Amino acid sequence: MLVWNETTQGLAENWDDFVGSGADDGLVQRWLGVLAWLYLAGTVCALTVRRTSTYQLVPLLLSVVMLGFLFYAKYLGAQRQLPMLIEHGGQFLTPVLLVLGLKMGPRHPMVMNLAIIAVTLTFAGHGAYALGLWPTPSNYFAMTKVIFGWEAATTKVFLGVAGALDYLLCAGLLIAKWRIPSALYACFWGLVTALARPVAGMSSELNFWGADQFVHEALLRAPHFLIPLYLAVFWYKPRKKSTGDLASVTESVPDS
Amino acid sequence: MKFSKWFSVFAVVLIFGGIAVSQQNAKKRRGRAVLDIPKVEEANTICFALYTVSNKTLKLTAQLYPLGEGAPLKACLEIKENGVWKEVASTKIIKEGWTAPFRVETWDDSKTVSYRVIHGKKATYEGTIRKNPTDKEEILVAAFTGNSIHPVHGGDISRQDIIDNVKKVDADMLFFSGDQVYDHHRHLAAWLKFGRDFGEIIKDRPTICLPDDHDAGQPNLWGESGKISTLGGASDGGYSRPAAYVREVERAQTSHLPDPVDPHKIQQGIGVWFTNLNWGNVDFAILEDRKFKTGPAGRVPKQGPRPDHIRNPEYDPASVDVDGAVLLGERQLKFLNSWSSDWQDAKMKVALSATIFCGGAHIHGGANGRLHADMDSNGWPQSGRNRALASLRKAFAFHLAGDQHLATIFHHGIDEFRDAIWSFCVPSIANLYLRWWEPLKPGANREANSPEYTGDHLDGFANKVTNYAAANPEKKPAGNLLNTRSAGFGIVRLNTGKRTIKMECWPRNVDITDPKTSQYPGWPKTISQFDNYNPSSWGKAGEITFNVADPVVEVTDEVSKEVLYTVRIKGKTFRPHLPKGATFTLKAGRNASDQTVATKLKVGSDKQSITLE
Repeated sequence: MLVWNETTQGLAENWDDFVGSGADDGLVQRWLGVLAWLYLAGTVCALTVRRTSTYQLVPLLLSVVMLGFLFYAKYLGAQRQLPMLIEHGGQFLTPVLLVLGLKMGPRHPMVMNLAIIAVTLTFAGHGAYALGLWPTPSNYFAMTKVIFGWEAATTKVFLGVAGALDYLLCAGLLIAKWRIPSALYACFWGLVTALARPVAGMSSELNFWGADQFVHEALLRAPHFLIPLYLAVFWYKPRKKSTGDLASVTESVPDS
Repeated sequence: MKFSKWFSVFAVVLIFGGIAVSQQNAKKRRGRAVLDIPKVEEANTICFALYTVSNKTLKLTAQLYPLGEGAPLKACLEIKENGVWKEVASTKIIKEGWTAPFRVETWDDSKTVSYRVIHGKKATYEGTIRKNPTDKEEILVAAFTGNSIHPVHGGDISRQDIIDNVKKVDADMLFFSGDQVYDHHRHLAAWLKFGRDFGEIIKDRPTICLPDDHDAGQPNLWGESGKISTLGGASDGGYSRPAAYVREVERAQTSHLPDPVDPHKIQQGIGVWFTNLNWGNVDFAILEDRKFKTGPAGRVPKQGPRPDHIRNPEYDPASVDVDGAVLLGERQLKFLNSWSSDWQDAKMKVALSATIFCGGAHIHGGANGRLHADMDSNGWPQSGRNRALASLRKAFAFHLAGDQHLATIFHHGIDEFRDAIWSFCVPSIANLYLRWWEPLKPGANREANSPEYTGDHLDGFANKVTNYAAANPEKKPAGNLLNTRSAGFGIVRLNTGKRTIKMECWPRNVDITDPKTSQYPGWPKTISQFDNYNPSSWGKAGEITFNVADPVVEVTDEVSKEVLYTVRIKGKTFRPHLPKGATFTLKAGRNASDQTVATKLKVGSDKQSITLE
């Protein structure tokens, strides 16, 4: 329905051809299958990309569009809750960070600033949910209850504190003295929240211990701890002196 | 550096600008409902009240708006006797959910009585407790499901048509099968809106509400005896929302039901409410088909992206019928087996549950959403489904349910087609999610001039089902509201004199008393009570004549000692319908099958006369 308009009506003869008749696949359904291969191609590019290979860099950048489509769909699915859109900032910007990091160097201010934006978006989204500014997702409570055994009231306090810390770390990333501790905390908390899915959900009673249901939940959240880890590492060992901008303890690396 | 700064500014503007534009567009769209708890005057703090009467016990739950600081936490229930109001119960208001549950034992259900709930000095709410309609030949149940309030598909359109129609036909009982509330976080606000919408008819007749998945705050529910679910979509089994939330939901929607037959709590201290209600000589089993059901994730081999959806039509259905997978659970099956043999004050039996015992749709969500099988349906696990049907058919029970967003009539089969009960899945009040019954092959053994989608089919789990009607919505989703999405409601007329069950399926915004008004294609459909266990491979024994009308009879296999069925027959004569090649013992009695009256009963055996004490 999102893409059925006057322009796209030219792509198929009628509604059934567009979305499928039920008995047969339509244009949209066939393309959904293709999208899976495109995501796979993006994964291969991310693993093998070299800074001089335009054939790998361009598809990686294009994969951002696909991720954007995916996250916008999730945002719509969540009834347009703003945190749902922004919490995927880290995942969404990861391919851009990779491309810019390769082309400009990992210490380039633009790369580091973009990483700060990615971390901020992710944790601001999480924090908004945890603080209850938007309805807190059920699995926040459920995972806490399973892992710690706490009742809802205790969990609510815990999530409130975690949400407040999410915003503090976002602010901390912008303050020179707080940057490294903030990035380290983001790395820790991003790792914990990513691992919470398999820890809470996996069980020896399930097929493959439930790995096929829960491990990908941790993997797709890898940017939540790897991007702040990248920031912490490069802030901890600056190559040169401050230049005064957002990523003030870093300096750009020449493009070639 | 200049380029990098410009890029950073561009990225920030793009992200936040996009979000802002998106939010602006969202405001323009006519999509989600605005759900608030209105501030009400002190005189209007009671929103609505639900009740049932069973076994001479009245249970009534008044739903209040949130009270201010210092407001009294006590409410009273009064009835009018000889023109004078008399207090019959008082109760403490439960702040978590603002409910006031009353209980009056030794209730005289032979009279219709006016009641009022009182809170504080100003708030009153009046209604009528009906007399048990045992003198009526036809008991009329109005049945509903799926109460979306979102404007995008017509959920904001007034329910006045439903109110008017229920009043016109003067339904004896209301049944809301689930998803009275679609908001996953604000049950109280949505429940109060439900009360404002339907309170006018609820206050004057017994009402059964079954909280389903959305009521409990999750998209699907495999309750798994109260486990905690952590997987998105909840297909790992259990409850996603905190137990306190679930308990509050169940208190609001079910605390007025008759006492649970087996009240032991499940995990997280969540209660149970499966029970029965005898009203107008019809015995209704109120089932929890979600609470004990096993979640499929990790238990069955994945057959598609979602653990609960099977997209591969080549899969082996037996591979998902895994050991240990539960549907109703042992406690409910035990209850059903006891209920099926108890015909005290009952002429007919009806099972009420959230959804039907088969995969009752092929296409889900949109026209391209063909699923081979959906484990959210009661078609899975197949063994559990068959156990449930086997228990229900022993009582010739008719099954009334909802949830599917698609009205259907099915005759279910276990070992052969049409050897078990009939079900009527009613349409949604406002349809959030579209589904279609659209088999790829025409059904076998269809009735004359009936659509190809009717007839004998195997559902996605290879369960035997025979379809008689499906109110499929239109395919194109643009701009459609209510009836193009096959919204509506069901009316079931249970005739305890003729022992017939008439299923009616009405669209919204029509006058159902106008003879010119049409129902959805395939309705109305009338069946006999005895069609609910009438395998075509069976034969008839000789006619048995009793000295009393309407005795209870029970047929037991003489080898396996298993009860084949128990039923209160119509009139004085009865020809037992039996499997061929086996012998049976017949027990009978005026109100319970407590006398052995015949042995070696078999297909083709002689007719006989029996005198009951």
